[in-house]
Amino acid sequence: MTSTLDKLRAILWRDLLTAIRHRSGFAVTLVGVFTELAAFYYLSRAIGPGFRPGGIEYFPYVMVGTGVYTFFVMSAQAFLSSVQEAQQTGTLEVLMTTSTAPAELVILSSISAFAGNLVNLLVYLFAGVAVFRASIHANFFACVAVLFFSLALALALGIAAATLQVAFQKGSALLWLLGSGLWFLSGAMFPIQSLPRPLELLSRAVPLTYAVDGMRRALLEGQSLVTMAPTLAVLCGFGAILLPLALIGLSLSLRRARRNGTLSFY
Amino acid sequence: MDQIVFQSVHKVFRHRPALFNWLGREQRGETVALHDVSFSATRAEVLALLGPNGSGKTTALKLISTMLLPDGGRVRVGGFDARSHAGEVRRQVGIAVAAERSFFPRLSARENLEFFAALDEVSRRERAHRIDAVLRDTGLEEKADTLVMKFSSGMYQRLGIARALVKRPNVLLLDEPTRSLDAATTAHFWATIRGLAAQQTTVLLATHNFAEAAAVADRLLLLHRGELLADRPVGDGESAAALRDFYFRMTGEVDESICNR
Repeated sequence: MTSTLDKLRAILWRDLLTAIRHRSGFAVTLVGVFTELAAFYYLSRAIGPGFRPGGIEYFPYVMVGTGVYTFFVMSAQAFLSSVQEAQQTGTLEVLMTTSTAPAELVILSSISAFAGNLVNLLVYLFAGVAVFRASIHANFFACVAVLFFSLALALALGIAAATLQVAFQKGSALLWLLGSGLWFLSGAMFPIQSLPRPLELLSRAVPLTYAVDGMRRALLEGQSLVTMAPTLAVLCGFGAILLPLALIGLSLSLRRARRNGTLSFY
Repeated sequence: MDQIVFQSVHKVFRHRPALFNWLGREQRGETVALHDVSFSATRAEVLALLGPNGSGKTTALKLISTMLLPDGGRVRVGGFDARSHAGEVRRQVGIAVAAERSFFPRLSARENLEFFAALDEVSRRERAHRIDAVLRDTGLEEKADTLVMKFSSGMYQRLGIARALVKRPNVLLLDEPTRSLDAATTAHFWATIRGLAAQQTTVLLATHNFAEAAAVADRLLLLHRGELLADRPVGDGESAAALRDFYFRMTGEVDESICNR
């Protein structure tokens, strides 16, 4: 356990140093956050106050939806990029010869990628509230619970993309496909009830839909843990199935790459 | 007990063309990297792995490090099978590969070593001391806090060696370790290798440098087109020229340095 925490600390420290040494990186992210929020703010003004999906004002509704969606996809993207970069520099092969088991290494590395994007999500939500006056009514514990269970799903998505990257060098294609599908089906921008019935049913099979809905209810409506128990249970169930599946897939693809000598192919 | 055992090892790389290959000229085929190769190395032994490009030297090192899995035969390190007990094998092996860009460019040399030392489970108490020692041994002390993106290829290579040494492996694998090093650093490095062997480390060194093989190796393995042509001791005081003659005689390649005289 001590060793695992030490490894996690080392990975977080590496990624923090790398991030702050990309001198303009954080400033660019901040500009991006404000531009996106401004676009949604004026979009909601253009639509007018009459459109209140689920009884919530449109600006906070879309802010939480896109914030959670971006957290998912950008975290998976960040993790995938780190795998691609490690393939290009040859670091991946060397990492696979350290005393750390590949699965442990992947989970710890992905936690780091998600931690960075969690900060981005918090900045995004904070800016939405502080600068654009989004009205929230948060239940802190419910927010933390939704984030916690969503993280397992996001990890599974990132690891699945890394699996395809190692196996077929096509992780970004999967992410692009899933990213567009999730954006459309998860209810990030509009209520899924607006979709035709078959697509609405499909949307209910998408784990991100529950993460987006759960975060809205926890952050904007202040619903309690008890009220949200069914949503949390669904998130937990998806995580319990998808995360082990993604890890098994990655383990198989790493073994295949070691057999074929394609670990550093990109 | 033998530290490294290669038993009838077979490794083939298969090349499958891309889906829409009719647009290009990529060929289907396979390369036999190693064919029925067997050898072993005892504790504290230094083995030089000689052979022309594509003879299977790097493949052999990667198989021992678990970067690759064999298609046939067995690879054992410290009594553990590289296929079924890869984790145990990785704990015992340190590797410095030839293409040394495998670092995090925006971290300094010391930060890179700290990162890899953590993954290699070097205790926090010992880490700083060991890193100082390997930086000193590889002549990188003054560049310890420079970002590696500013390193020359020789410095990258030194850092690769430092990374392999920091975990104090029982088995050290080196792929052309002095290819980009200057003469003084090379001489110091050879002394380091002999020092490690004296401390019971088994060293397997892939090289094209006959002087290096003569200076550090106890035994010589000669690979050619994936087959082991020779496995013999390096005599006390055996010269680089003698090894060179042996190499060209065994491989049947033409020594152009003689032709041009």
